[in-house]
Amino acid sequence: MSKYELPKKFDYKDIDILKQFITETGKIIPARVTGVSASNQRKITKSIKIARFLALLPYTDMHQ
Amino acid sequence: MNKYEAVIVLNPNLSSKVDNFKKDFEKLLKDNSFNIVKTEDIGRRQLAYSIANHNKGHYILFNLEGDPSKLIEIETKIKYNESIIRHLFLVVKEHNGEDSSLFVESKNKKPETSEVENVKEVVNTDSEPVKEEDLEDTSEGKQEEGEDNE
Repeated sequence: MSKYELPKKFDYKDIDILKQFITETGKIIPARVTGVSASNQRKITKSIKIARFLALLPYTDMHQ
Repeated sequence: MNKYEAVIVLNPNLSSKVDNFKKDFEKLLKDNSFNIVKTEDIGRRQLAYSIANHNKGHYILFNLEGDPSKLIEIETKIKYNESIIRHLFLVVKEHNGEDSSLFVESKNKKPETSEVENVKEVVNTDSEPVKEEDLEDTSEGKQEEGEDNE
């Protein structure tokens, strides 16, 4: 049913999975839009924020 | 004893000296009685944003075991190492035995660029007209089948 690819365990290294949950500008999409469960949303946010720190994902599209 | 996952992003200009860095780092870990479970040399990657005027970074991933008190000493040494542009130590409950998706991706990229591109070119030049005809035939066939079913 769900149009998103959800793994058993979220990891900051699975960039392709995390990319589904950020907008073109790099923002994290709220769970009320994606319909992901609250517990999964917490795990997704955590992994995205780690991936951002390691420059695997952008914070914004305004990076110079 | 804690289990750690360490990611280190090296200065891309020092990519050729990675082996030297690895040896030094492993020595530093062993001096602090850290146990290296696994290393993954992911290699050069495009950074999502520039760090210290670098657009690329050389990623290395370590799975480690060691004492938290010794980790502080390691981190203070890493801080003043100019070849490291970013580092992160994470505490994990269990080490994931499988290769990370980043490592698999970097492995796949290297052979693909040399072989697959050549194959694609050959296919395009030889069999393009034949393929188009085939596609048209099959699409018509499918439509007819669909009508029959209805």
